[in-house]
Amino acid sequence: MLILLQQLSKIYRTGAVPVYALRDINLEIDHGEFVAIIGQSGSGKTTLLDILGCLSHPTSGEYWLDGERVGQLIDSQLTAIRNRKIGFVFQTFHLLPRKTAMENVQLPLMYAGASRTEQRTRAQELLTLVGLGERMTHFSNQLSGGQQQRVAIARALANRPAILLADEPTGNLDSQSGQAILDIFDQLHRKGQTIIMITHDPLIAQRANRCITLSDGRVVADTSALQTAGAMK
Amino acid sequence: MLLLSIFHDALKNLSANLVRSFLTMLGVIIGVASVITMIAIVEGGQLWLVDSIEKLGTNLLTVWKKRLTIEERRLFAGRHTQLRYGDALALRERFPNLGVVPVIEIDGQLKTGNRDHSGRVTGTSPEYPDIRNFHVAQGRFFTTTDIDEWRRTLVLGKTVAEVLFGSQSPIGHEVKIGDLRFTVIGVMESKGEVYGRDFDEIMFIPITTLLRFFTGNDKIQYITIYIPEREQMADITEQIHQFLVQRHDGVDDIRLRNQGEFLGAMEQTIWTFRVVMGGIALVALLVGGIGIMNIMLVTVTERTREIGLRKAIGARRQDILLQFLIESTTISLIGGCIGVVLGIGAAYGFGNLVAQSMPGGGDWGAVIKPPAIIIAFSFAVGVGIVFGLFPAMKASKLDPAEALRYQ
Repeated sequence: MLILLQQLSKIYRTGAVPVYALRDINLEIDHGEFVAIIGQSGSGKTTLLDILGCLSHPTSGEYWLDGERVGQLIDSQLTAIRNRKIGFVFQTFHLLPRKTAMENVQLPLMYAGASRTEQRTRAQELLTLVGLGERMTHFSNQLSGGQQQRVAIARALANRPAILLADEPTGNLDSQSGQAILDIFDQLHRKGQTIIMITHDPLIAQRANRCITLSDGRVVADTSALQTAGAMK
Repeated sequence: MLLLSIFHDALKNLSANLVRSFLTMLGVIIGVASVITMIAIVEGGQLWLVDSIEKLGTNLLTVWKKRLTIEERRLFAGRHTQLRYGDALALRERFPNLGVVPVIEIDGQLKTGNRDHSGRVTGTSPEYPDIRNFHVAQGRFFTTTDIDEWRRTLVLGKTVAEVLFGSQSPIGHEVKIGDLRFTVIGVMESKGEVYGRDFDEIMFIPITTLLRFFTGNDKIQYITIYIPEREQMADITEQIHQFLVQRHDGVDDIRLRNQGEFLGAMEQTIWTFRVVMGGIALVALLVGGIGIMNIMLVTVTERTREIGLRKAIGARRQDILLQFLIESTTISLIGGCIGVVLGIGAAYGFGNLVAQSMPGGGDWGAVIKPPAIIIAFSFAVGVGIVFGLFPAMKASKLDPAEALRYQ
């Protein structure tokens, strides 16, 4: 078992009225799965992504990741876990400007304390993998959206993470580039990479082999993608 | 390795906002430059003053009359409580190996033909030129005969001679001081201004002549005493003090001051000056630091998403802290270097300006000492670190989830 959530809740108490973003989530995700988490805006999918990605703490309940009880760890420990076990892919790519594709991919390796040579070898390998072998020294703002997202995927894979966590990875791309990104996900999945992808689009969720639907902070459906697509029709 | 790459990033980020970075640096540049310039000027001023005072002679001891309080005056009424010409004569007799020079100054108006000149007329004794290292250039100074016979002989300062006689030699000519006729017997060499007093404006007459014809009593203003052995200064000062108190019927109404003490007092004044000037310059540097803090806070806000991303992929708090701290320090480091160069330039520029504007080509130049540069530079770097700390802390404490989605 890679991920185990038990009675997990997240409550925001910033305003006068507490907001229940997630309520009693129970979830298991195994090694090698390609999971889509789908839901309307406000359904709690972003909150779930933050918790799964160790960016924030649950209010109550348990989160086990790869045998570690991460729900209650302190910030510095979470930082180390994010660096080693999680690879993020964001809707807006989040590449650093004024840095080349290579330098962007090297960043997580640098924070992991890898040597210069290691950083370079691994970055070259990954950029080749995502089909950007020819554009390694291009600055990020010289690349198209699709190419930028591929750099982001290479960066996410840098430290061989247990989970690739993608938040609307095709949201800012035209359909052709979007399809190319999803093809890379398929390819990675076939090699055994665990992928969790958050989306609001059922057609994109179809590419996963499991689909979890969130609504009002609860899991309302957990089926194979084909079934979800069928139910939507 | 990590540090080097952070430093490289800092340079890149600064060059991406070139104008802004330069304006921020300007605060540090001005601060560092003014610290160096101010210290250099004060340092130069000190050198010049010490030099001037040593020109006056550090083997000199001056005896003044002390102003008594009302209480003391009533207490000592009728006793011998004035500095008189007789005191000088008695000192000369008691300490034959010292140079004893009584002095009294009055305002006087000099007239010859249709020219006149007002100034200070100094009555003194023949030893004056030797002990003040201020000699006659033309003719002679007065002698003991002039003193003994109350002769009306006059020695002019260079400027006075020029005013009254132009290019003509004044020796042997008659000059009236008030209603009395004097004969010019000498003209002093040019000495220029020494410690705020223009020696070329002085006119000398025998002290006995001055007492007899002008003041009509035997009170004098001060006695300058030359002590050949500088090491004996303290001992002799004490002996003279005791001797004079005894002469004054036991009333301690005199004040003794040697140039060495004077030098010490001056140095203290200069030290105060240095602290004040340095303080002002440091305030400039501090303002520069606030500029850095301001711009770093803007930078942190602008780059919130970058900070969120870096944290998401594994940057620890200290990594972010270091990144922004190095950026602010880089600003102050570069600003400091430019400031040092500008400061040295400004100090020398000022030095030349002063040297040119001083009468007689003063040699008060700026003096730049390595410690001043080191102090200014380390302060600049310190300012970068101190004022960069708050923005960097702010950056390091950002919540990654919120920072990533900051608009």
